[in-house]
Amino acid sequence: MRRTWIYAIAALLALFGFADAIYLTIEHVTGQSVRCTIIAGCSEVLSSSYAVVAGVPLALIGATAYFSAFSLATLAAFGYRVAASLLTPLSFAMFLVSLWLIYLQAFVIRAFCQFCLFSALITLLFFVAVLIARRVKSV
Amino acid sequence: MKRILPFIIILAVLGIALVSAWYLTRTMPATTTAVGSQSQQPASTAPQTGSQPQPGQPVASKGVPGAEPAHTLGPANAPARLEEFGDFECPPCGMFHPILVEMHKEFGDKLHITFREFPLTPPHQHAVAAASAAEAAGMQGKFWEMHDLLYDRQKAWKTQFDVRPVFEGYAKEIGIDVEQYKRDLVSEYVAKRITLDGSRGHSMGVTGTPTVFLNGREVPFESLPADQLRVIIQREIASAGKQ
Repeated sequence: MRRTWIYAIAALLALFGFADAIYLTIEHVTGQSVRCTIIAGCSEVLSSSYAVVAGVPLALIGATAYFSAFSLATLAAFGYRVAASLLTPLSFAMFLVSLWLIYLQAFVIRAFCQFCLFSALITLLFFVAVLIARRVKSV
Repeated sequence: MKRILPFIIILAVLGIALVSAWYLTRTMPATTTAVGSQSQQPASTAPQTGSQPQPGQPVASKGVPGAEPAHTLGPANAPARLEEFGDFECPPCGMFHPILVEMHKEFGDKLHITFREFPLTPPHQHAVAAASAAEAAGMQGKFWEMHDLLYDRQKAWKTQFDVRPVFEGYAKEIGIDVEQYKRDLVSEYVAKRITLDGSRGHSMGVTGTPTVFLNGREVPFESLPADQLRVIIQREIASAGKQ
């Protein structure tokens, strides 16, 4: 598969993650995320102290990261080499943060939010896509 | 053109995201269910509970009736009538509990408080058990005592595998007949009260907990912190005084 297409798939994955993070950000801003609903575990996770970093909702930080990832992957798909080189550290950092957040959900908060798990899955797939793109030929 | 195309795509996505975010903040989805989602008629007879509302005084002007008599604090003719739909296992409900206690102390006879059961199952595996414990305690006139204990010690019991012995301990602590409590816990009456409160919540558009109505109007969730809720209650009391 051509590298261009892999970057395009990575961009699409980042787009899904971006949508997920925007939804969580809106829930947080409107106060819905800290209300208990039928959505399993989300209120426990999103109302925890880990949902905010220095006063900024973690979901908003996630949305920014996903938008950056989407932008870089799109540029990489169009042949911007600098963007491609920046994608690797960004995707790795996002992957590590996702692992940390899964650890928090499993062992500290002891509740899972499916929106957060979806985000973690997207991050994993994005990281894998970027790694594959680095290894395949550009033509 | 090919060089600027990715920038156009990026800007388009950003634009769509911003517009979508703006739209979603105005129309948040509301999809949830709780015990009592099916419409049911209110119980015609009911044993005594810990607090008695005035006959013929509906707590709020809309929605199907909940369990009667409802669990209330304060005089039924108070100018501010607050109705909470709560889930004992819900952390935000636990956080709202001391705020409501504070409001009750502060406004005294000017505030009438009603608690409605709205256990969310799933995700809260012990929510119905906790609601049943409170209702069973209520049958011996100690609803609010159990209500307070369940919220105050929420973190201690919600992680337990079996909460029954924990709640029996609470029943003993508040001084009710534990054997009677255990019988009431599994009674049809207790189950029906929870179902009726849930039905009322659904008929009033409750989608999560805590949901609070003041004089029949829903108080936005973001207005539930003490400083904001206090202002809203004061406004209602002032408004009632002018009429």
